[in-house]
Amino acid sequence: MTLYILPKEQLPVFVDKLKADFRVVGPVKTETGFAFDDIKQAEQLKLDYPTTILPPKKYFLPQREVLFNYHTSINEKGARQIDTEPVFQDVQPTIIFGVHTCDMTGISLYDKVFLEGFKDEHYLARREQILIIGIECLKPCDDASFCKDMGTLTAPPVYDLHMTEVESRYLIDTGSEKGEELLQKYGEVKLATTDDIRDLSRTLSAKWPRFRHRLKMSRDQLPSLLTINYGAITWDHLGERCLACGSCTNVCPTCFCFDVQDELDINMQDGQRTRLWDSCQLHEFALVAGGHNFRESKASRIRHRFMRKGKYIHQVHDILGCTGCGRCERACLVNITIPGTLNALHDEMQLDANPAAG
Amino acid sequence: MPAKPKIAFFDFSSCEGCQLTVIDALQTHLGLLDQVEIVQFREAMTEKQDTYQIAFVEGSCTREADEDRLRAIRKQAAVVVALGACAHLGGVNSMKNRWAIGNVQTYVYGEKNKETYPSYPARPISAVINVDAAIPGCPIDRFEFLHIVQMMLQGRVPKLPDYPLCVECKLSENACLNTLGKPCLGPITRAGCNAICTTYGDGCEGCRGFAPEPNFEYMREILRGHGLSETEIDARFTMFNHYQLQQMGEDAPLSPEGLQSLNGELPTSTFAAPKEAEGHG
Ligand code: SF4
Ligand code: SF4
Ligand code: SF4
Ligand code: SF4
Ligand code: SF4
Repeated sequence: MTLYILPKEQLPVFVDKLKADFRVVGPVKTETGFAFDDIKQAEQLKLDYPTTILPPKKYFLPQREVLFNYHTSINEKGARQIDTEPVFQDVQPTIIFGVHTCDMTGISLYDKVFLEGFKDEHYLARREQILIIGIECLKPCDDASFCKDMGTLTAPPVYDLHMTEVESRYLIDTGSEKGEELLQKYGEVKLATTDDIRDLSRTLSAKWPRFRHRLKMSRDQLPSLLTINYGAITWDHLGERCLACGSCTNVCPTCFCFDVQDELDINMQDGQRTRLWDSCQLHEFALVAGGHNFRESKASRIRHRFMRKGKYIHQVHDILGCTGCGRCERACLVNITIPGTLNALHDEMQLDANPAAG
Repeated sequence: MPAKPKIAFFDFSSCEGCQLTVIDALQTHLGLLDQVEIVQFREAMTEKQDTYQIAFVEGSCTREADEDRLRAIRKQAAVVVALGACAHLGGVNSMKNRWAIGNVQTYVYGEKNKETYPSYPARPISAVINVDAAIPGCPIDRFEFLHIVQMMLQGRVPKLPDYPLCVECKLSENACLNTLGKPCLGPITRAGCNAICTTYGDGCEGCRGFAPEPNFEYMREILRGHGLSETEIDARFTMFNHYQLQQMGEDAPLSPEGLQSLNGELPTSTFAAPKEAEGHG
């Protein structure tokens, strides 16, 4: 909406001021890479990080979340009574710094899933207190990225502030009133001049050639590609290799499936109902009472994941279920990748249509 | 209030590490003693009663004399729980099963005393008696122990996680050891320990047993990528799970030499000399 500039050396000052009133999280260096974590010192914030193992989704839907506490007792009439008390976990004013554009796309999908139609009150309570400060990607994280194919190289309108590094300064775009207030109150910013804006456009147009295409088809074709290839032999090949380890979905910024469990205390009276991340790649996911499993084979589970990413989620939420972040590819020990699989389906289709070409 | 269920602990071939973990758990979760009465626990108390409903059995069955004792426990207890990898899987004890038992006894006790402690290949207690539940791990995880006891007290069938360790490892946002040059059996191992070893940087050795649909073929492929030989991979697969693989017979995912080891046919030349003994003998 409005463009400001923040000199780079002012960033730590900005972060420190925010820390007085917010929990500030962002990418920090770990022993082996980077992860979103609490920023204890402003210098820890590494805005030029390549990628993280888990996306910032963990702040929107924690790996383990208490939904309510319960207490069971026997009342005066001798009947079992259960009292519950709702819990809203991790609800506090939070700023998530340095969110990549692909991950912001994941967050916009989360917002649709948890807030459109039925509103998930636990999600909502946290969400209302989260402010997102995005960072423009000027080069791909690594070879696993295919954000350009998935159209996530520009920021979706989910950010409160969005920063682009332009030489010695950040150009900051405000995406919401809260973002605007944040800058006014905590940042030493100036309005961008026409020169700043010219430099910004230059930076932005220079970035595109640095990203490569990895898909042999356009993303608009994905729903039909997957429909046609429901019975493809590729799924069986992948099923043989897959470890059913669930890493691909756990690290995915768009996966949101969860399981709900009751955890009883040692006194056998009090307990907690919890929500935990779940994965469609695990054997138990589609197992129902009576022992029937809708997706017994690993091949059918992998296919399901791809159908979700490229078709089903799009049908329901009008947004593709894959952002091209490449995390699943980095996490998969048997090299099952989104581009590799989609391209294999594409090739299999060409072969079917024109057997002589094989 | 109905009488508290009586529980008893027993040990067979084991290091008693799992019983120690139970003692640990009792110290941090004293409330458990409001729910159950412990009537036998050699590791922790001297009094004992012979009437109990739930028996926790630590250790594997490694000699004939173990069998009668196990059957007596089974007869008395309404519920028998295998406590830890030794009882649940056979565990590290089953490493000896790679060689003919006579050779193992000579190696351990010497030519003169080889008959002193008769033994046979190590097996999980389920090879001898019916087992109602297992608490996996070497040693067990104290929280899982408490959780399983609670489930039993509620009359529910205790359920173990039905997926590989990688799930817990990723939820903790660990960088994958298999991509950092450290072999890890996480993809074929049952979760439930909260990925304790990998979180502290050690590859999983499979002490909780195999996950329900282990992909052995590609697990071997991953381990080959670390430069491990076929024999080294076999050794990793069988470290805790020798018995389980032996049950698979010819289909066991091992090299030809590995299959030989399953049947106790490895030559004694493959005994590894204890490191600290080198140079002194
Ligand atoms: S499917 Fe893979 S590449 Fe796509 S968003 Fe999920 S983790 Fe990223
Ligand atoms: S990460 Fe790879 S091996 Fe694991 S479940 Fe996903 S596709 Fe299968
Ligand atoms: S499972 Fe491990 S810790 Fe438990 S008794 Fe056996 S060797 Fe000891
Ligand atoms: S370190 Fe081991 S348990 Fe963790 S993700 Fe890698 S293979 Fe799985
Ligand atoms: S990580 Fe593996 S070896 Fe370690 S406790 Fe868990 S299952 Fe056992």
